[in-house]
Amino acid sequence: MEHYLLLIISAALVSNVVLMRFLGLCSFMGVTTRVDTAIGMGAATTFCITISAMIDWGVEKALLEPYELGYLRTVTFILVIAAAVQFTEAVVRKVSPAMFQMLGIYLPLITTNCAVLGVNLLLVEGKMNFIESTVFALASSLGYSLVMVLFAGLRERIALADVPRLFAGPPIGFITASLLALAFMGFSGMSTN
Amino acid sequence: MSNLQSSAPPESFFPNADDRDMVEGFARVVALSGGKAWAEPEPAQSCGGCHSAGLCSIGKQGKTSAHQLAKRFALPGDLGLAVGERVVVGVREDTLTKGALTAYGLPLLALLAGGIMGQEFGHSDGYAALGAAGGLAAGLLAARVVAGILSARGVLTPRFLRRAFEVPVDGTCHTEHG
Repeated sequence: MEHYLLLIISAALVSNVVLMRFLGLCSFMGVTTRVDTAIGMGAATTFCITISAMIDWGVEKALLEPYELGYLRTVTFILVIAAAVQFTEAVVRKVSPAMFQMLGIYLPLITTNCAVLGVNLLLVEGKMNFIESTVFALASSLGYSLVMVLFAGLRERIALADVPRLFAGPPIGFITASLLALAFMGFSGMSTN
Repeated sequence: MSNLQSSAPPESFFPNADDRDMVEGFARVVALSGGKAWAEPEPAQSCGGCHSAGLCSIGKQGKTSAHQLAKRFALPGDLGLAVGERVVVGVREDTLTKGALTAYGLPLLALLAGGIMGQEFGHSDGYAALGAAGGLAAGLLAARVVAGILSARGVLTPRFLRRAFEVPVDGTCHTEHG
């Protein structure tokens, strides 16, 4: 249990996918203007990363590794991610049309989110077993969601602040992101995966 | 239109004075039937948008009739709304969190529980994967039940807040930000 706890802390905080690995920066800047959109995007990404990580683990172990098809890894993983997103969209629409109305708009954004592909490739590097890779993917995506919501909250406050004209908009956003990254560096050394 | 009536989603309500902190959005009335006004939400921008918006799939989503029909919801018929009228609708801020937890959180939790159980009892990756797949299926089923309960209570349905002003034909709003 301690091993899994360390894996979760490491993936979510110490090696945060956005602030430490610099993945998913497009959605990090683009979808964090409001907290509610950040929650929707974060939840959808968490679901898709975990599902695609499960499938990619199976594809890696059953196909790519035994037949030495490593050079096809990126293409295969992208295909799996696209399929996972389509599956998620179908599931949410089936589970509740009302929820699809609220949450469905974030799903197409995930297909082109490099954080999803990045986490899946990190799983291969880590040579983890099935449950470890699922926990790692879930924790990584929860870390992504946490940062998205934190940053969206900060940007909502900044929108009300009297920011100098030169820094208004994206510049103050990037400065805030760098300060947030510095804060997350405080977790360094707690655990490593 | 019969398709609309058979699905019968819960009806939205008049704005309540206690309803603060609403997430607002625009919708357009597309039909009047069965004493209700049926509205479709206007396509929302899920990302900040960029100069390549015309090339990416985000701007094109939700345009098919099946997509639009799935997004229709009912408003009370006694508001005097006309077809084509633009209205402001809203859901409570915690609705999105509840929806996300139900649609994504519940299946993920069940997936993880199933995977751990498979690993503990089977001591192999195959059993863990099987357990996770079973857990995911159970979680999705549970999510559907919970979503049904929330929908029946009208928690997920947008409420009518007020009539909206029409956007000028040239689309400009003459503010500092354009």
